[in-house]
Amino acid sequence: MNSNKPTAYNNRLGLKGWVYAGRYTFERYLYLGHRLSGMGLIAYMVLHIIETANRMRGVEAWQGLMALFASWPFKIIEYLLFAAAVFHAMNGVRLLMTELGFFLGKPKEPVYPYSSSVMRHRPLTYIIMALAGLLIILGGSSLFFP
Amino acid sequence: MRETRLWSLHLLVIPIIAILLGAHFALMHYAPIFYGVSVEEARNFETMIERGKSVAQLVLYILLLAAGLYHGLYGMRGILRELPLTPALAKLVDWGILSFGIFIFALGAYVTWWTFSFKIGG
Ligand code: HEM
Ligand code: HEM
Repeated sequence: MNSNKPTAYNNRLGLKGWVYAGRYTFERYLYLGHRLSGMGLIAYMVLHIIETANRMRGVEAWQGLMALFASWPFKIIEYLLFAAAVFHAMNGVRLLMTELGFFLGKPKEPVYPYSSSVMRHRPLTYIIMALAGLLIILGGSSLFFP
Repeated sequence: MRETRLWSLHLLVIPIIAILLGAHFALMHYAPIFYGVSVEEARNFETMIERGKSVAQLVLYILLLAAGLYHGLYGMRGILRELPLTPALAKLVDWGILSFGIFIFALGAYVTWWTFSFKIGG
């Protein structure tokens, strides 16, 4: 665990550093998105368990809640949640592959010009993100189901 | 070793979440396509109770509860423990998250059990 004590340079950026600290790569923004979507999903899951417990208060309480969720603001929130889940899951698959060492290429001698495993992985990253984008767009159609 | 095990479990539960949450979204958002009923009907009280009476549902929901809560809360613990905490605060985060997780899991499991044992018509 890092203790982040202030140094003479005091280079701790705090929350701002989540978003920008100069020359962040595409993967760094995916990391930010993964973290935000993960936090959103767990917050939703906890509220969801409390909210679905309302069924114990009977038919009326439940149907009232479902009528509320059928309204437009909630439909949009549900869609955003779906999008966050798809993004988190697809990016999660990419992370799993990276962490387990797939598609990173063989280790090479560090001879200039250096090749990085991140760059070798990048075409796959683009493919996975394109698929996630497609799923998120297609998922929007459920907004129009009665 | 303990940290390695906890992290491995964080990754090992992912297939369970992927399958069960995928099915959950299919049911809640795409009921007309996958189950041949309207979204409204899929979320109806009677339909929900009807579904909840199967043993498979009981087991699968409790599995999703456990897997999702573990994965998500372990992730939150990691995020919180990246903050500059004193050892005492880090311990508080660990115990706080663990007890919160157990409480929410117990609530969810109880509700699922309640649905499973619900008597239609009183
Ligand atoms: C198929 C579904 C999912 C996949 C493939 C997935 C995958 C992952 C992966 C690979 C990580 C990073 C682990 C690491 O690098 O050590 C992660 C982190 C995380 N996940 Fe998931 N996950 C899924 C669903 C969920 C759900 C449903 C929740 C919430 C209930 C969630 C909450 C989190 C959180 C809070 C983190 C920590 C993020 C961070 O440290 O920045 N995930 N997930
Ligand atoms: C917006 C999308 C969602 C809708 C409309 C929805 C709807 C529901 C409904 C109606 C139930 C009651 C049980 C049933 O009908 O069979 C339920 C239960 C449940 N849902 Fe969802 N859900 C959604 C997203 C999620 C997500 C993202 C998660 C996980 C992170 C999740 C996890 C659960 C769990 C664990 C239960 C069982 C709760 C318990 O046993 O108390 N749901 N959901």
